[in-house]
Amino acid sequence: MAKVYQDLRSFLSTLEENGQLVRIKEEVNPEPDIAAAGRAAANIESGPAVLFEKVKGYPYSVVTNVHGSWANHALMLGMDKTATTKEQFHEINRRWDRFPVKPEILKREEAPCKENTIDKAEDINLFELLPLYRINDQDGGFFLSKASIITADPNEPDNFDKLNVGTYRIQVKGKNRVGIQALAFHDIAIQLEAAERKNEKVPICITVGNSPLVTYMASTPVMYTQNEYEFVGALQDGVPTQIVQSDLYKNLYVPAGSEVVLEGYIEPRVREVEGPFGEFPGSYSGSRRQCVITITHVTHRTNPIFENLYLGIPWTEIDYLMALNTSVPLYQQIKRDFPEVQAVNAMYTHGIGCIISTKVRFGGFGKEVAFRLLSTPHGGSYSKIIIIVDEFVDPFNLPQVMWALTTRVRPDKDVVVIPNCPGMPLDPSSYPAGMHSKLIIDATTPKDPEPNPREVELLEPPAGYEKYEALIRKLMSEM
Amino acid sequence: MKCPRCDGNKIEVIATSPVGNVWEVYECMDCFYSWRSTETPHIHDKFKLKKEQIDTLQVIPPIPPLDK
Ligand SMILES: Cc1cc2nc3c(=O)[nH]c(=O)nc-3n(C[C@H](O)[C@H](O)[C@H](O)COP(=O)(O)O)c2cc1C
Ligand SMILES: [Zn+2]
Repeated sequence: MAKVYQDLRSFLSTLEENGQLVRIKEEVNPEPDIAAAGRAAANIESGPAVLFEKVKGYPYSVVTNVHGSWANHALMLGMDKTATTKEQFHEINRRWDRFPVKPEILKREEAPCKENTIDKAEDINLFELLPLYRINDQDGGFFLSKASIITADPNEPDNFDKLNVGTYRIQVKGKNRVGIQALAFHDIAIQLEAAERKNEKVPICITVGNSPLVTYMASTPVMYTQNEYEFVGALQDGVPTQIVQSDLYKNLYVPAGSEVVLEGYIEPRVREVEGPFGEFPGSYSGSRRQCVITITHVTHRTNPIFENLYLGIPWTEIDYLMALNTSVPLYQQIKRDFPEVQAVNAMYTHGIGCIISTKVRFGGFGKEVAFRLLSTPHGGSYSKIIIIVDEFVDPFNLPQVMWALTTRVRPDKDVVVIPNCPGMPLDPSSYPAGMHSKLIIDATTPKDPEPNPREVELLEPPAGYEKYEALIRKLMSEM
Repeated sequence: MKCPRCDGNKIEVIATSPVGNVWEVYECMDCFYSWRSTETPHIHDKFKLKKEQIDTLQVIPPIPPLDK
């Protein structure tokens, strides 16, 4: 049974035991030290999480880069820290099929997130609870970049399948006021629209510092009626995740182990300046008028740990966090119709770049698979550069993908551009924002009825190479 | 004190350091830019905001009509 975490703290201990967490014990400045460490950790091979024990002017600690390497990602899954990206992809897919695994609902007194309560809005001060800091120099303020946010469907408030757990950036605008970026194509925007039509507040819980798979599922694009907590249990290989009822709203459930839970409401039909904020494409998204939340109730663990994420020019923590959690749902959705598909690598800028390996059933099949990607909810708007390779090419091995491109592609027939399609608005090359063209490169081998006048025979590795691989590794490790 | 982004003068202190008296955080009530007293903000021209611009910024997500 894989190791399972019910809170951030137990995961931090595992990271530390495995040499994947470092502590900075000296006092640091909020700016620019915490963000600088996030960038630095991303620059380092198998970068660790970085925990700052003392931040000037603040009582509590902050941790960054918790998901920021393949080693940390493997430990999140309870795998060996040396597990390859492809091994992790297949393991997540195996566990994915266990969905749904009902969460375990704890009593209030059993839930660590309820250790301390602040029940008067005037007593709430986010700056006392969280060591807030600026992430990128031109950000419009201090952001929570990694919170898991819980809302319900206003038309079916008690429908647990439609309870949404999502990651949306939060800008702190006062002691108990924050802004939120709810992009129109995400689940929370469906719920917001339903409430705003009736001019009703949207009850909301913002949870900070969670078990790593809660954060992971919060930023995974699953279907509207699929509950994220039931996926966390699946990815924990069948072990339910622990949740607890919110104090203010009986239909909202929060992770029982959260470090901090902020409860309140989105003000209906109000928009205020939010941003800029350094975003995942490695550039800023500018100021827009976005929603505002008032926080009226808080619970938190004693000595809460603020978990936050740095984003910079890829790769940084966010790229690890949303690498396989974009690839796996796309693979699951495509293989339902095309079982020939072997793997999907949608790790490049949240799936804007995507490589799919597939068996080819008939001529033109590669393009058909690309069209299927472009008709998934996420791929439709995000995916722009799509490369299709044969089933014997590993899409997670970029040199192999380059081999396929250089030896399989005839640009005059295998490369197509489809103009005027949906695009990802934060992609700075999308114009107008939200529109884009799509590039498909079919690097598969032609199959009947497409002619293949120069059919080749692939080179086979010489007999016994595995034995030599093991031997050479052994000799090297003894040097 | 003036807002480094929009030149507005409605600036509030939204926080003082909970430990020691080592910084304050200011916020502009017109454009909601916030900064710490230990920072020296230099807003790039691209991100400066004029009062007129604020009202015409894109609204995300759009506000739907009210149900009748
Ligand atoms: C670190 C991080 C920050 C994100 N910030 C936002 C955001 O501000 N707004 C947004 O709409 N999506 C954001 N996303 C993407 C969504 O969390 C992601 O697409 C998720 O699947 C949305 O789930 P939903 O469709 O259930 O709402 C972010 C993702 C990550 C990993
Ligand atoms: Zn201003």
